[in-house]
Amino acid sequence: MNVVAMAGVALRRLLRDRRALFFMLVLPVVVIIVIGATVSGFDKFRVGVVDNGRGSLAQGLMSEIQRSRGLEVSRYPDEAAMRVALRRSEVSAGIVIPADFDARLRTGASTAIPVLAEQANQAAQGAQTAIAAVIDQHATDVQAASFTASVTKTSFDIALRRAQQAGTSGGRVTATQQVVDSKSVVLPSGFSYSAPTMLVLFVFINSLALGATTIDNRRLGVYARALAAPIHARSIVIGEVAIAFALAVVQSAIIVTIGAAVFGVSWGSPPAAAALVVAWALVGAGAGMLTGTLFHTPQQASAIGAPLGIALGMLGGCMWPLALVGPTMRTIGHLTPQAWAVDAWTDLLSRGGSLADILQPLAILIAFAIALLTVAVTRLRHILVP
Amino acid sequence: MSLAWTIARKDLRQRLRDRSAIVLGFVAPLVIAGLMSFAFQGTEHFHFNLLVVDQDHGPVGAALMRGLSAAPIRDVLTVRSSTTDAAAAAVHARHAGAALVIPPNFSREAENGDSVSLRVLTSVDQELDGQVAQSIASSFAAQINADRLSVETALHSGAPAATTGTLVAKAEQLRLPEQVATESIGKHPLTAISYYAPGMAIFFVLFAVGFGSRSFFTERREGTLDRMTAAPISPIAILAGKALSVFVFATLSLATMAVVSSAVFGASWGPTPEAALICIAMALSVVSLTALVITLAHTERQAESMASIFVFGLALLGGNFVFVSAAPPVMRRLALLTPNGWALRGFTDLATSSGAGAAIEPIVAILGITLVLGAVAASLARRTVVQ
Repeated sequence: MNVVAMAGVALRRLLRDRRALFFMLVLPVVVIIVIGATVSGFDKFRVGVVDNGRGSLAQGLMSEIQRSRGLEVSRYPDEAAMRVALRRSEVSAGIVIPADFDARLRTGASTAIPVLAEQANQAAQGAQTAIAAVIDQHATDVQAASFTASVTKTSFDIALRRAQQAGTSGGRVTATQQVVDSKSVVLPSGFSYSAPTMLVLFVFINSLALGATTIDNRRLGVYARALAAPIHARSIVIGEVAIAFALAVVQSAIIVTIGAAVFGVSWGSPPAAAALVVAWALVGAGAGMLTGTLFHTPQQASAIGAPLGIALGMLGGCMWPLALVGPTMRTIGHLTPQAWAVDAWTDLLSRGGSLADILQPLAILIAFAIALLTVAVTRLRHILVP
Repeated sequence: MSLAWTIARKDLRQRLRDRSAIVLGFVAPLVIAGLMSFAFQGTEHFHFNLLVVDQDHGPVGAALMRGLSAAPIRDVLTVRSSTTDAAAAAVHARHAGAALVIPPNFSREAENGDSVSLRVLTSVDQELDGQVAQSIASSFAAQINADRLSVETALHSGAPAATTGTLVAKAEQLRLPEQVATESIGKHPLTAISYYAPGMAIFFVLFAVGFGSRSFFTERREGTLDRMTAAPISPIAILAGKALSVFVFATLSLATMAVVSSAVFGASWGPTPEAALICIAMALSVVSLTALVITLAHTERQAESMASIFVFGLALLGGNFVFVSAAPPVMRRLALLTPNGWALRGFTDLATSSGAGAAIEPIVAILGITLVLGAVAASLARRTVVQ
């Protein structure tokens, strides 16, 4: 009963604290909306086009590029404007249709189509692949028309029409991708990657920020007064753990609900996702309580909490996939609980994993939580009963 | 002015004695920039092993191997022959980036005009290698399709069927008439460290809003502000002193981060004069934000809450956490309502060598936002100090 009363006191104090409320309720919503708006439409490659061509062939290529389902096309008046957009990464690759495009192709000559992109960039490579596929398709018809015009008396335009009609029928040579280690073709990109990683990042940062409340309680003598009443120190400690855990769960639930309802994020198998949210909330509660017992002022807690949360998030793959970094950084990253949480979400979202598939990362997260909570509870009890 | 400077010096001394301020202003951004630099070390150069499994042993496989040893492709991949199982195991174990499988009877079926497929074995953890391998296979398939279509169209257009053999031989000599010519976007592509080093520096410098506004209310609570206003010091001098201390702290923090992240981690902030001007403009915007928080809040606690909301709100909107350039146009426009969004735009343009004029627009925009915020704060300033 005392536990509930202590948790109730902590909750009432929190609800009166606008800063805490902001971190607890507003920030997760803002995060999910900003991330949602930022990464929506990531199922397409953003490409820019400068159409200098004059003629039906250039027009045909342009409309094929615009029709391509994998490309989101922005048109630019000139190459300089497109280069600015490329440098800022507003588009991943830029196509320049040359002015002599029609003239060269109609005389049977070949033409180079400049595609501007950064060569070692994943999105740029993907965009180039998609662009090459569209250009190759267009070039297939043009080659057939040009060849036909050269070996028969048929005009280029008639031959082109025939090639376009014939191209849709008959057998084709294709290239199919087969992923050797997963059911899905790629790791979830865009929102499906950002939503769970931002949940991991911000629930942890928020939990650390709420450690400031424990410090306030110590400084204001809330614990001392409670102990003067017939309340056991154990009740206070359990009450604090319960409220820290409950808040982390509430924040996660907000992110999960808004992500699913507004942005259509699939969070994978419900029991597995729920288990993961609970395990992560325990880690957050442990880390937050530890912060509350380690530092002396709320300012210290917030000065260390935000950078620590961000640094661990970076190491653990919340800002970028750990697949991008070298093996040493991947190993170091897995010293953080964040990496195991992100691994588990990846299993759930990318590989359609079930609860059984994430047992290992779950067990490791629970071990982290137990370690953090044990140290935090021991320290808090020591503070309460020196 | 000397009074303002005296107040500023006193504030700065207090700030530098506060370990929280040192951590947030100097240590945290450097540690995080260091982490980013280590994380992306060795990932700037792209090269991978491609395994080729030739189960066909026909002319198509030979042609593919010839294509793979050509100059531009040779630079990004090392090609080795393998078997299907070994190739799948190697890709799975990340010993190879991807594998191309030419299935049995591929050459014969391709010549007969049947539907056939080249298989590209990839791994979820090596997306880029998989995409490049897929691109190579698709281009190769497109050439075969084009040759087949050329012969088919010629026959439909009146070429005698008896010449089919000659047409096929001729078509095999053709190359697709539209070739993608990849061009680099410049000598200075935007690297992760060059985006996130200014991004994190600006994020942490925004915390100065919290320190600055809190110190004002602490002084009011402890009575030092009353004593100052009782002395022959104008409210403007007091505010100028406070503003100066925030400005110097923010500038020092940004400058330290720029110097250390460039020298140690190889971040590019662009040419020094332009980068310095953006830092100064950003520091001025931190001053006006601090002034605004002071005038809007009534207590130390309120100031702290508002500052936190400003810091995280601006950082999220401005692109300090997410790469806002890749966002839809509406988000990019929203980012440009924030001073940090403009500063990041400026640093991005400078780092990618957009030319000397690249900093002008961001600086003007940041100063514009600073003036607007400052004007609102100034209209309330006298009332707050006198209160």
